[in-house]
Amino acid sequence: MKSKVNKSVYGYLFISPFFIAYTVMGLVPILYTLYLSFTKWDGFTNPIYVGFANYERLLHDTFFYQTIGNTLIIWIFSIVPQLIIALLLALILNEKFIKGKHFFRAVFYFPHIITPITLGVMFALMFDWQTGSINMLLMKIGVIHDPIHWFNNPWWSRIIAASVICWQYFGFNLIVFIAGMQSIPTEVFEAAEVDGASKSQVAWRITLPLLRPVFLFTLITSVIGGLQLFDAPLMLGDGPGNSGRTMIMYLYETAFKSFDYSYGAAIAYGIFIIIMIFTAITAKATKMTKEA
Amino acid sequence: MNAKKWVSTLLTACMVMLLLAACGKGNNEGAASSSSASASPSASASESASASPSAAPADLSGKLTVWTYFDQVKILADNFMKVHPNVKVDVQIFPGDQYQTKLMSALQSGKNTPDIMDLDHGYIGKFLESPFLADLSAMGGEDLVKSYVPYVTAYGRSADGKLRAISDNSSPGGFWYVRETAKKYLGTDDPDQISAMVDSWDKVIELGKKVAKDSGGKVHLIQGASGLFDIEAFNTESWVKDGKLNIDPKWKDTYATQLKIRSEGVDAKLGFMSSGWGSALNDGSVVLTSMPSWATFMIGNKDGAAKGKFGIAKTPEGWYNGGRWEAIYDKSPNKELAYEFLKYVASPEWQTINLQQTGNMPSNAAVFDQLQDSFKGDLYGDQLILKGFAEQMKSMPARQPNKYDDDILGKWVKVASQGIDNNTPYDDVVAAFKKEVKNTYPEIQVD
Repeated sequence: MKSKVNKSVYGYLFISPFFIAYTVMGLVPILYTLYLSFTKWDGFTNPIYVGFANYERLLHDTFFYQTIGNTLIIWIFSIVPQLIIALLLALILNEKFIKGKHFFRAVFYFPHIITPITLGVMFALMFDWQTGSINMLLMKIGVIHDPIHWFNNPWWSRIIAASVICWQYFGFNLIVFIAGMQSIPTEVFEAAEVDGASKSQVAWRITLPLLRPVFLFTLITSVIGGLQLFDAPLMLGDGPGNSGRTMIMYLYETAFKSFDYSYGAAIAYGIFIIIMIFTAITAKATKMTKEA
Repeated sequence: MNAKKWVSTLLTACMVMLLLAACGKGNNEGAASSSSASASPSASASESASASPSAAPADLSGKLTVWTYFDQVKILADNFMKVHPNVKVDVQIFPGDQYQTKLMSALQSGKNTPDIMDLDHGYIGKFLESPFLADLSAMGGEDLVKSYVPYVTAYGRSADGKLRAISDNSSPGGFWYVRETAKKYLGTDDPDQISAMVDSWDKVIELGKKVAKDSGGKVHLIQGASGLFDIEAFNTESWVKDGKLNIDPKWKDTYATQLKIRSEGVDAKLGFMSSGWGSALNDGSVVLTSMPSWATFMIGNKDGAAKGKFGIAKTPEGWYNGGRWEAIYDKSPNKELAYEFLKYVASPEWQTINLQQTGNMPSNAAVFDQLQDSFKGDLYGDQLILKGFAEQMKSMPARQPNKYDDDILGKWVKVASQGIDNNTPYDDVVAAFKKEVKNTYPEIQVD
């Protein structure tokens, strides 16, 4: 008996809303940005075609290279503690004997609900040089005599920006890890218990190896998200010598503060290529791990 | 089965139609519709400030759309509609950080454009050189500004000398102080005496050292060394001359003064408009706060708590900060009616109401002249604040705007502020600044 695929045109009607929406809201702006990147346009006059001039400028733009470095530093400073904290807490909160674990899960997840802008402002106020609560506290307990100008130090600026992101996302990763842990069959743990494995042995030799797919998921999503850091660092400022300025912040400042739309478009495509490279590296690493 | 197919097709078609309708809808997101809540002026226009409403009120009719980022424009519109009851003014307010992009998109596309647009001091230069603003000089605009404060008029002119925007405010700056604190640390709360005490930066530094010593370092004379950026911003030459970056030598002296202010403990190291700055302004933990007249919204005056609490002294140099200009869209079908609106904006009648209701200082020098011996603000007790501002406003250099000045000033502020924090030599600050300018504006020649 021959199977016959139903090629009814009505199917196209059903999927058309998404494609129309994507074309109008997504594809057209993406292509228009590409067109703009080959022009000189200040938003008032008509765009003038300049070929690869913007990309040439981008290749020699030391400020842009600096933002790539800043973004990576902030991302590494946020992802490493984020995963460690999330993992430790997940291991603890996954234990049966812990009381109130649902309450703690909810509490740790709360920062993820708050908008990054709000968190950025909150941290900016907390670490303010003259009136910040952190300096007040440190002075009160006698750790420091004069207030520290946190945002005048390149590394502190980056660490504070990373802290905001770390604080926002560790709860989300915690939930992901707990979900991963709960998907591990209980028989494995019971067998380990019967064999007399200690808690640490169970964690190192059973839980963590079986969580590998969850780790990979977290890593890929954080690479893509981490390279697009914008809102929280924006609230904390560029930092001394632009040390806290991320790639997307630079794009925003160029296109929407200096109103150099065409160069901003070139920066956008530059960022696109960088994210693509890093995603490819991550995907490659994922493949290798799978094969291992 | 057929019916099912028919229904599903119809539903899908409906969804597509809805989607398209949503896409094609007029973009009024975030726009506040015209305010119907009339802000009844608490005081009528001053008798001495002769009102010169243009056409006979009944002759004017129609509808105007005004785009702005400043909610007090509703008060202006309401007052205009009182004078011209047959005109409807629709004020659309957009968030300040999105306004410029929104306006540029509308003007570029020519769709959903306003009749009148507000332009901020920070970016008016770009718009004045665009083809979108009507030539007010050709419409008789020179008459509207003949008694204006010179710098306000100059800032609404395009490079060809034509008037393209006018403002109803002059945004003068001064030293605000809590009278009680001034008495305690300066020995007086008299604005003239305090002005004399701080009429040079050297005097400011000496007095600052004394205040720091007397208070055991708890109270500072001024909020921040960064206040000097605003004071010097328009007492210096333009940042771009003949396509070249121009750093006025005065910035070098200013920077040296700022370093001295910082090293001698004269300032509280607070950033303009930061939360700490606001607290210090209100509680008097800083004696003198340099700020423009429009920043009084930072003063806590709930239930008249700040009535008579403040005085205003002169800064070593007269200055202004910010401001909002209004222009007519060149392709507006209501240009004549829009011009009548601008006539009202420029009139002493409106600027008097504005002064009394909002505390915004006038741009029409006639209002200064007529009210400087009688106007008293709620916050300032018996001080005749207009008197102090009148002289400095009239003598401010009338500088033409350009599309670079405000942005480049922002870069200088950013780099020099870091320099003050780190006690960086001036030449290093200049080098970092030049690098910033060169990177953002490759078309500007940087030596």
